[in-house]
Amino acid sequence: MELPKELKYTADHEWVKLDGGRVWVGITDYAQDALGDIVFVGLPKVGDTCSAGSSIAEVESTKSVSDIYAPVSGEVVSVNEALLENPEILNSDPYDGGWICEISVTDLSAVDALLDSDAYQALIA
Amino acid sequence: MTAKTTALFETHRQLGAKLTDFGGWEMPLSYPSGTIAEHLACRRGAAVFDVSHLGTVVVEGSGARDRVQAALTNNIDKVAPGRAQYTHLLDPNDASVIDDIIVVWVAEERFFVMPNASNTENVIGVLGGTDITRNRSVLALQGPSAMGIAASFDPTIAEMKRFRVQEFRFGGEDGHVSTTGYTGEQGVEFSVPNSVAPQLFGELIERGAIPAGLGARDTLRLEAGLPLHGHELGPGITPYEAGLGWVVDLSKPEFRGRDALLHQEQSGRRYSLVGVMASSRQPLRADMELRRPEGELVGRVSSGNFSPMLGVGIGLAFVTSPVAVHDYLEVGQGKNVRRVEVVDLPFVSKAYAKT
Repeated sequence: MELPKELKYTADHEWVKLDGGRVWVGITDYAQDALGDIVFVGLPKVGDTCSAGSSIAEVESTKSVSDIYAPVSGEVVSVNEALLENPEILNSDPYDGGWICEISVTDLSAVDALLDSDAYQALIA
Repeated sequence: MTAKTTALFETHRQLGAKLTDFGGWEMPLSYPSGTIAEHLACRRGAAVFDVSHLGTVVVEGSGARDRVQAALTNNIDKVAPGRAQYTHLLDPNDASVIDDIIVVWVAEERFFVMPNASNTENVIGVLGGTDITRNRSVLALQGPSAMGIAASFDPTIAEMKRFRVQEFRFGGEDGHVSTTGYTGEQGVEFSVPNSVAPQLFGELIERGAIPAGLGARDTLRLEAGLPLHGHELGPGITPYEAGLGWVVDLSKPEFRGRDALLHQEQSGRRYSLVGVMASSRQPLRADMELRRPEGELVGRVSSGNFSPMLGVGIGLAFVTSPVAVHDYLEVGQGKNVRRVEVVDLPFVSKAYAKT
């Protein structure tokens, strides 16, 4: 199971990549494997505001429906529209091509408080 | 209760299958290639499924034919030894479909009655017979290439029409092969002793079949418009209400549940089964409510998912008021309302000719 060291993680199986005052958000390799083949992604809209822990997107596989929660509070500044036609990217490339949205973060210290890869590894072990 | 496992359990683990509980059996949900790839392999080439969790009850000896005829809705005299028939077992109180069953007429007074995993006890209670479920394995080989692969083991299989059964010898053991399945594709189901099942499964893969799990089995049967017990069949649903009136032969003077069925028909059908198709990839899901655009609740989705062949969400649904093909209905509420269209079943045309 791939678990990049430079990313932060949540207990809900999202990954967060800090990039200036923004974060990229996606789901972990563990999450995509547990979900199975992903067939639909419901994306947020650019300009949506989100608070940490609120549902911002929806991922559906052949077997289940899962909410994606905002790892931090902020505003959605871009979304990965490639997932609308090719949601299977979430399975094949969860940490790169499978990014879901980009959030402009209200409070950057909230990012530091997320899990590091070791803590997330311990969680899913 | 510990989950039951099939003779192929170790094989599935070695192939990296994800396992799931199904009716008390620990079965492969998918292999590393994933449900969609397995589904498409079955539509375009061949897939092999371990379906050993299905029950097999042997009903044999003097009077076996009469017992089958008196218990089940279809008319066994429409077929003959060497053939198989789809049929129902009804609740005598209200004509609910207790189970849907394949009866394989192996020899004159010898039948393999194949119920769903969880209903084997019910069937033995009604028909008698011997449960041989744990002694044999059933491998379903399905898809446009399935008959060719099967014939590479025994050339006479190529000549079999649909819903036929004959003996099948493999690895020095005696078994059977029937031209049946649950995918809407051509194919066969092998029933062989457990001792040779891993070898047969392995050889089917070597000859081009992709191992497929219950996830693909469900999306395939849904595209083919085939019912699943517990969703389209079960308590409170008669064969007519499930759109399966052809399974019932009322010209038979007696079968279990016949009186209750006639009584229910007199008071009127409560619902009918239809297909609905979404306009986007988002799957439909069981229990979603269906409404007319003006708000009237008309039914509920009984099974739903994503159709890998059509690229959109599809569902089977029971409706309580009449709808017509091409009618538009809605699922969801508020900003999540989605339009679905009533469509003809099956969603994906059956690949085989009617026989």
